[in-house]
Amino acid sequence: MKRLCPECKGRGMCGLPRCPITSRFYESVRVKQSDAYMGASPSVFIGTKGYPRMQAGPLLVDDPDTPPLWVREGYSIEDIVGIRARTIRGAGETATHLDRIQEIALSATPLDVEVAFTRPVSFNLTFDGTLAPVGLHGDMKKVDVLENARTPRPVERAVADTDLKATDAVRTLYREGVDVYHITQLLTSGLLGVRRRTVPTRWGITAVDDILGAALKETAGRLPPLEEFRVFSATIYGNQITCILAPGAWHYEMIEIWEGGSLWGGDGDTVVVDGERRKKQGYSPIAGAYYSARLAVLDYLNAIGRSARAIIIRKVSSAYWAPLGTWVIREAARAAMQTDPQVCPTLHEAAAAASICLGSSEWEVSSNLMREIQSQKTLFDF
Amino acid sequence: MLKATIDTDTFRETIDVIAAMVTECRLTISEQGIRTRAVDTANVAMISLELDQEAFSSFLATAGELGIDITKMKNIVGMMGRGDVLSLDLPDDGHKMEMVFSGYKYSLTLLDVNTIRKEPSMPSIELPAKIKISGAALNDAIKAASVVSDKIALGVDPAANFFYMEAEGDSDHIRLELGKDELIDLVPAEARSLFSLDYLKDMGRVMGRADEVEVQIGIDHPVKFRFGIADDNGRVEFLLAPRIEAD
Repeated sequence: MKRLCPECKGRGMCGLPRCPITSRFYESVRVKQSDAYMGASPSVFIGTKGYPRMQAGPLLVDDPDTPPLWVREGYSIEDIVGIRARTIRGAGETATHLDRIQEIALSATPLDVEVAFTRPVSFNLTFDGTLAPVGLHGDMKKVDVLENARTPRPVERAVADTDLKATDAVRTLYREGVDVYHITQLLTSGLLGVRRRTVPTRWGITAVDDILGAALKETAGRLPPLEEFRVFSATIYGNQITCILAPGAWHYEMIEIWEGGSLWGGDGDTVVVDGERRKKQGYSPIAGAYYSARLAVLDYLNAIGRSARAIIIRKVSSAYWAPLGTWVIREAARAAMQTDPQVCPTLHEAAAAASICLGSSEWEVSSNLMREIQSQKTLFDF
Repeated sequence: MLKATIDTDTFRETIDVIAAMVTECRLTISEQGIRTRAVDTANVAMISLELDQEAFSSFLATAGELGIDITKMKNIVGMMGRGDVLSLDLPDDGHKMEMVFSGYKYSLTLLDVNTIRKEPSMPSIELPAKIKISGAALNDAIKAASVVSDKIALGVDPAANFFYMEAEGDSDHIRLELGKDELIDLVPAEARSLFSLDYLKDMGRVMGRADEVEVQIGIDHPVKFRFGIADDNGRVEFLLAPRIEAD
């Protein structure tokens, strides 16, 4: 895609229905570029560049920055890119603004802030596989938080406890009903753990997904196995998540299919596969999406009190024309797990049901877990 | 009732072996010693372990069944020093086992045995080919195979009189042949079965410490590994169901 763009200049040679590069300009027209901001700040953002001396600051926009809300309200991709294009990412030395960054991160609702920039904010919409896009960027001269943070009770407890390890804090908060988005904010701004430090947002998102997944995996491992096969499916923003649950011990596999003409798809379909049993070694080639989807499945298994083997297939069509971040996969997987499953007596029927949902059975060839379930005998077969 | 003392290294070895397979188990105690048999959630692998009273420095017990949380036990074992002595004490009808080591006094709540899966019966299978091999060599072969694939074939060629292991990946292939001279013992018979390396890796890790492992295989049948622990005062049997691929 990158190679084509300079040549194409938005003429649609890449096959996408809309050029992600030019669409940012539609949105930018509406933005008045000023060197000061007064209004709401829903969350904070910590960059990856220059670690451990990252740039950090508040996100400035009149939107709560909670993806589940975007989905619930039925925002389109255009709406979300629009919101994010006029979002300003304030940037500054982490240490200089840390107390105000932490104040914003603590709050469950957006806080009013006043920010002065060194020069008018510049437009620079960046898309990324893990993070939600952000359009404007400004180097901060001064930040003032005009309100007090509205901190939920469990958050207050976890933040005040300096003997509570970060992993335990994350798990406790999740159990007490704080959503992953807020937990990520707390972790990245260095409010959790014994030896606290700020963490780039991109790493924090996956860290929270992985910490929670690892704990839930252990509890799910002790549950009795599911009795039948179940198939779930849902689509959000061109991301179709189909999940097959099969009886047996916890075993997870994710297959990611980028259709030809989709964002990173190239000409033909691109398929990436990764999986795990009890332990996961190394970082998944599917990146953040792997951990986000895993969390949704584990939440479901713990809710029904069963262990299972799970195959997740993510099929991305060209309707997903701008990468919005891993939250899309998390919300799509959650939506899928909330649907009424199709119950199948055999693996064969479950696979067929999944293929109908996906419109093709090409995923079966890539699935190692599928092959294993088919070929692995049990001791009672002898 | 159980009142026993045991070397911490022996105890750690025993727990490690069980932990390779299950997260909780029923431990049967009798006057002769302790034993357990358990299958994993997917019914693919089975462990059968016996530890004679000779493995303990002192042992006094009446028959009974204990529910042990192996994951928790493994964490406790991790705190024990090397060459220390552990004393176990469980009163009649007690639900808490007292474990004393290096000055620590640990009171471990036992699991209700009724919440743990019943002991499975050992499937009666005939496995004609038998190989005796050092645990380290076996573990190395498993590790080598896992580099290229997620499954491994174990077999014996009776005509050429050797034992072989073979793994086939998407693009790579690895094969190891061991003749009678390179093994401790070989009883040849036609055999070849395919196994998941996921399970074998966990088993291989604990078998690697054994001087001698007896491997029994058949044609598309489970594999049985037998080896001794605690200076041969205990015996372990692993049984693993094969994968059968219909091509």
